[in-house]
Amino acid sequence: MRSITKLSLVVAALVLTGTTIQAQSNNASVTATASVQTPINVLGAQQLSFGNVFPGVNKTVNATDLTNGGRFDVSGQASTPVTLSFTLPATLSSGGNTMPIVSYTGVHALLATQVGGVAFSPAAGATSTLSGTGAMFVWVGAQVQPATNQVAGVYTGSIVMTVVY
Amino acid sequence: MKRQSWIVTLALVLGVPLAAQGKPVTVTGIRGVTFGAVLPGVPRVVLRTDPANSGQFDIKAPKGNVLLAFLLPLTMTGPAGALMPLTFGASDAGYSQTQSIGSQVGFDPKQPFTAVLPNNGRASVFVGGTANPATNQRAGAYTATIILNVTVLP
Repeated sequence: MRSITKLSLVVAALVLTGTTIQAQSNNASVTATASVQTPINVLGAQQLSFGNVFPGVNKTVNATDLTNGGRFDVSGQASTPVTLSFTLPATLSSGGNTMPIVSYTGVHALLATQVGGVAFSPAAGATSTLSGTGAMFVWVGAQVQPATNQVAGVYTGSIVMTVVY
Repeated sequence: MKRQSWIVTLALVLGVPLAAQGKPVTVTGIRGVTFGAVLPGVPRVVLRTDPANSGQFDIKAPKGNVLLAFLLPLTMTGPAGALMPLTFGASDAGYSQTQSIGSQVGFDPKQPFTAVLPNNGRASVFVGGTANPATNQRAGAYTATIILNVTVLP
């Protein structure tokens, strides 16, 4: 009888110990997933070219001018909206000399032929949607205003276009 | 003595399983966090209340207090080992005693959280987050693992 009592204690202790040892903890996991789409790529495809300019004579290149208008080629995720914004220089420079550049115009289209193009103001930016192949073409025009005493030389400036989803 | 040994052995063998049957903790990953299509440079947020895209864990344990602790990834891994940052806000996790996504108590998944299990011992934990793709993020499928550890408190 006495040994049975001792035994009961041992058993009780073991069961209690068992309860304590049993880890009251557990875990599980889930997976986070994402599908990253094609990044935007912008290429300065064609310079905005005013050609020869004479002092005192303003010269305009329209955005619709496929030969002389500046052109950016955009690629990215097909059929996805994008926002266009620009940094536009107020002058072109030749060494220490400057020449005003004003009245920027723009056209964006889904085809390089500019068919179906939409006019916009580069100063204000634009929103559009990439084509079904993820393409877009953007043209920029402007007017240069050489002074009557404009110093001769090659004048340049940088037009920067930023495209974001 | 021989009889005692048998009983002790039996208790040793049965002791742990019996205890385990009494108070087990079960955690089940029900649904992953789905960010879907993500555009480079555009953060994508999944709310914990999003019934389709938030992550969900179901818990089954004895009623009472439990400690919820997440193991959260800092990034998602994509093609050729490309990484995309993943962040979790102070209220990106939610606890529901009713297992309803519409009835949650928000908490910070970055901190351990003490929750009270109801009488039926069942509850759910929901989790959201934000994927932060760079503007030049490599295209492709990205994944990460979110772990929830549940501990019964005495």
